[in-house]
Amino acid sequence: MNGTGAGTGATTEQMPEQTPEHAPQAAADAPAVFSVRNLWKVFGPKADRVPGSDLAALSAEELREQAGCTVAVRDVSFDVRQGEVFVVMGLSGSGKSTLVRCLTRLIEPTSGTIAIDGEDVCGMDKGALRDLRRHRAAMVFQHFGLLPHRSVLDNVAYGLEIQGVAKAERRAKAAEMVEKVGLAGMEDRRPGQLSGGQQQRVGLARALAADPEVLLFDEPFSALDPLIRRDMQEEVVRLHRDEGRTMVFITHDLSEALRLGDRIALMRDGRVVQCGTPEEIVGSPADDYVRDFVRDVPREQVLTVRRAMRPAAAGESEEGESLAPTTTVAEAIETVARTGTAARVVDGGRCVGVVDHRSLLGVVAGLDSSRKAAA
Amino acid sequence: MTVHTAPPQMKTAPPGRDATAPHPAALFLRALWARPAARKLLVLAAAAAVLVPVAAAAHGSGTWPSALTVDLSKPLTGASDWIIDNRDSHWAFLYFFGHISGAIIAAVHAVYTVLLALGWAGVTAAAALIAWRVAGVRVAVTATASFAACGLLGMWVPTMRTLALMIVAVAVSVAVGALLGLAAGLSDRTFRALRPVLDTMQALPAFAYLLPVVLVFGIGVAPAVLATVVYAAPPMARLTALGLRSTDQGVLEAVESLGATGRQRLLTARLPLARRELLLGVNQTIMMALSMAVIASVIGADGLGDRVYQALSTVDVGSALAAGIPIVLLAIVLDRTTAAAGASGPPSSSARRPWVGWALAAVVTASFTLGGRMLGSQTWPDGWTVAIAAPVNTAKDWMVDHLYTGLPGIGGTADLAAHYTGWILDPLRDGLQALPWWGALLLVAALAWLIGTWRTALTAVLSLAAIGVLGRWELSMDTLSQVLAAVAVTLVLGFTIAVPAARSPRVERLLRPVLDVFQTMPQFVYLIPVVALFGIGRAPAAAAAVVYALPAVVRIASEGLRRVNPGAMESARSLGATGGQQLRQVQFPLARPQLLLAVNQAVVLVLSVVIIGGLVGGGALGYEVVFGLAQGDLATGLTAGVAIACLGLMLDRVTQPTKGARDGA
Repeated sequence: MNGTGAGTGATTEQMPEQTPEHAPQAAADAPAVFSVRNLWKVFGPKADRVPGSDLAALSAEELREQAGCTVAVRDVSFDVRQGEVFVVMGLSGSGKSTLVRCLTRLIEPTSGTIAIDGEDVCGMDKGALRDLRRHRAAMVFQHFGLLPHRSVLDNVAYGLEIQGVAKAERRAKAAEMVEKVGLAGMEDRRPGQLSGGQQQRVGLARALAADPEVLLFDEPFSALDPLIRRDMQEEVVRLHRDEGRTMVFITHDLSEALRLGDRIALMRDGRVVQCGTPEEIVGSPADDYVRDFVRDVPREQVLTVRRAMRPAAAGESEEGESLAPTTTVAEAIETVARTGTAARVVDGGRCVGVVDHRSLLGVVAGLDSSRKAAA
Repeated sequence: MTVHTAPPQMKTAPPGRDATAPHPAALFLRALWARPAARKLLVLAAAAAVLVPVAAAAHGSGTWPSALTVDLSKPLTGASDWIIDNRDSHWAFLYFFGHISGAIIAAVHAVYTVLLALGWAGVTAAAALIAWRVAGVRVAVTATASFAACGLLGMWVPTMRTLALMIVAVAVSVAVGALLGLAAGLSDRTFRALRPVLDTMQALPAFAYLLPVVLVFGIGVAPAVLATVVYAAPPMARLTALGLRSTDQGVLEAVESLGATGRQRLLTARLPLARRELLLGVNQTIMMALSMAVIASVIGADGLGDRVYQALSTVDVGSALAAGIPIVLLAIVLDRTTAAAGASGPPSSSARRPWVGWALAAVVTASFTLGGRMLGSQTWPDGWTVAIAAPVNTAKDWMVDHLYTGLPGIGGTADLAAHYTGWILDPLRDGLQALPWWGALLLVAALAWLIGTWRTALTAVLSLAAIGVLGRWELSMDTLSQVLAAVAVTLVLGFTIAVPAARSPRVERLLRPVLDVFQTMPQFVYLIPVVALFGIGRAPAAAAAVVYALPAVVRIASEGLRRVNPGAMESARSLGATGGQQLRQVQFPLARPQLLLAVNQAVVLVLSVVIIGGLVGGGALGYEVVFGLAQGDLATGLTAGVAIACLGLMLDRVTQPTKGARDGA
């Protein structure tokens, strides 16, 4: 699941100013669901004047002093493609939660454009926006946001109730969703009687009940215990595998981002510092901040043999175990250690390279990035 | 004279010891300036130094100068006469006030008719079943016993009259309060506009509301209901707004993200989530309404309050008690039932259908009604009553003979009352009345500013000045002396009880039911036992005020002391602080906002009873209101009512701690 998604072989988006037209093209065959361009969100008095003016160049600190404004999202552009899990990652205060709320205008963006399936979100009137929230994008929240006075079933059915679905129909649909998230038998409980993980399953079921095009997750598992969190992550992976629904996932947890994300946008102080596949983020950090961020990541778990391989010498392309290009280095090490010989990387029946002890250990030791940088 | 409040502050300021300083006095001033409290006093002293000589030269230094008063009695009498003359002819009365009044009378009458039709058996059964459905078996038993007691005491008809008035008044109060609260809960602007009004209304004594209503509607049931509504609606409005505004933001955001419309958000999320506050609002409104419905007997509300009022005016303690006990029982039943509704969680959807229980209750009520009718009596059977008035009066006479004077050592209650009046109230009153008028203004300004902000100080000073302008200075100083003395007694007793209650869970457990009962009783009934004990005068009014205010003070203060950050207490203990040190150095400073709130509540509650004390010889402003009502001299009563409101406002503002004032004083 790591790095096997749409972004394979994409070039790293090194410069935040760079718009995605120049960015990953390889998976561009999937149409963009959300398309965000030059998005700004500034809090404070006269926030409108900041984007596009001289003030925009100031740092967060200077801006607070000079204009009394706080920039949460700063000139952000990206595309979320159909069927992918797009993770926005950053530390608290980096603007990621504001960013995801801007997508359905729970927070009104200051400037920039957002399009869903090519339709302008910022220009929508109240009715259209409500329609978007009801049918096309559903959100799961960190603190669940469940109604404490309703049963689990009624909570799950709540979105449908809002839409005006008849009682019998919405209850049937809700029961199906409750079953799907593994809460069968708890329909009549109140949220207060559930554990945190169970409550978040209710939140997830509520979002799924509307059958939205996109699921938005705002740090959904941050409030949960590590083991439960792991469970829930697997739940999301399973859901994604079964249904292929597009997801935008906000998290501050790097391992969660790497585990779930097809592509990751890393935010800092409101900017997207780097946007790419987990492999690109770990293998080719855009700057020192990202490098620092991914320092402790077990590289062999994330990077693939594509990064470790060297061109095949004469004769090598014919013999040895064959590995897919998406195989992780950790898996390749296991193969190479077992057979004792170099292994071939085969893509579409053609040998594209060879990995051996030396090249694999080089990746684990982090020598590959310096080599690439030198090259 | 003007800086007489400053010296204590100066003593605590560090003296300028540094020899190299340019001038010790300058240094002293600078050190003084560094303290916010001293800074406020210095500003005030400077202002006083300029203004006081001018004021004193122009108007002297005695009581409020007559040149600065405005005599409102003429225009008010004129207005009152005009209203009486035109009540049957002017369009405003014919088409507006007349309809309001008519509708209220019709509603009360309709409810009363229904209660009579249900008969004693039906009403008792209905009360018990409602209590059972809402609050469980224990409250249902209490309700049955209470209604039976009302009948036994021969008070069935007055109880039904009070109940009918209450039901109408509560329905209107809850509707009005909920609408206001809804507006304030949904709109920030309305909230900002409404909050100071509600705050002020809550600080005013019930008596202040009576006269404006009487001016327009005369004496009778309609003005009584209206006064009750005005008095009882604010808590509903306040709690509704609070409940709506404190909705969990996360839940609201989630609801919004699902595409809910504004109306859906209100109906499916905000209102259900505010359920607890809404029901608490209903509970408080009912309690306030009962309290006022009883007091409103002085403007023509029929029922239990009227019986107490009539009995007290002839010092017939036995009859007063016979009517007072049903009031207390009614208060307890209403409070327990509505409080239980708020405390229980939302109705569970898995429970069996709620309407089955209610239908059962209705059927049982109907059968009891029929059964009662077949027994032949609609109201309580005459033969089943117990006349307690005569034995109680005999007991009271015995008390007068044996407890009033001549007890060895303590001297008796009448002696106590005489000493309290002679040694405390009289000197205090004379002192306040001898205080130059500008001195009183200055004192109030200094106190209010030290505890609160310049805004509260300004309101307090203006309120006091308004009393002077109305020409009620001397009377207000009399009332003020009674309030101050009673507040002092209340606070001493209250804190003495609160400290052990805060430290020992056992004391707290013992106290809680007592406080619960005392806090539910309407102010009016406290007058009955104190008249029996102390006779008539200012002392019994003070005693009633102390007993009425004490529970609230004990509760707020002990809760404040108990809620002190346990971490701070633990660290104090770990440093080896003694119990007294913990109390003085940790609990009192940390609980300061709560303790100030207790003082504020003591002042507000004591004032409300001291005013009602006009009915039992308390004199001063309260008596003016009673006199005005009794003699039809609305101008006197109305002016006194406004003075009461001003006094209430002033006392509330003087003791009102604000968040911004934490660094001060």
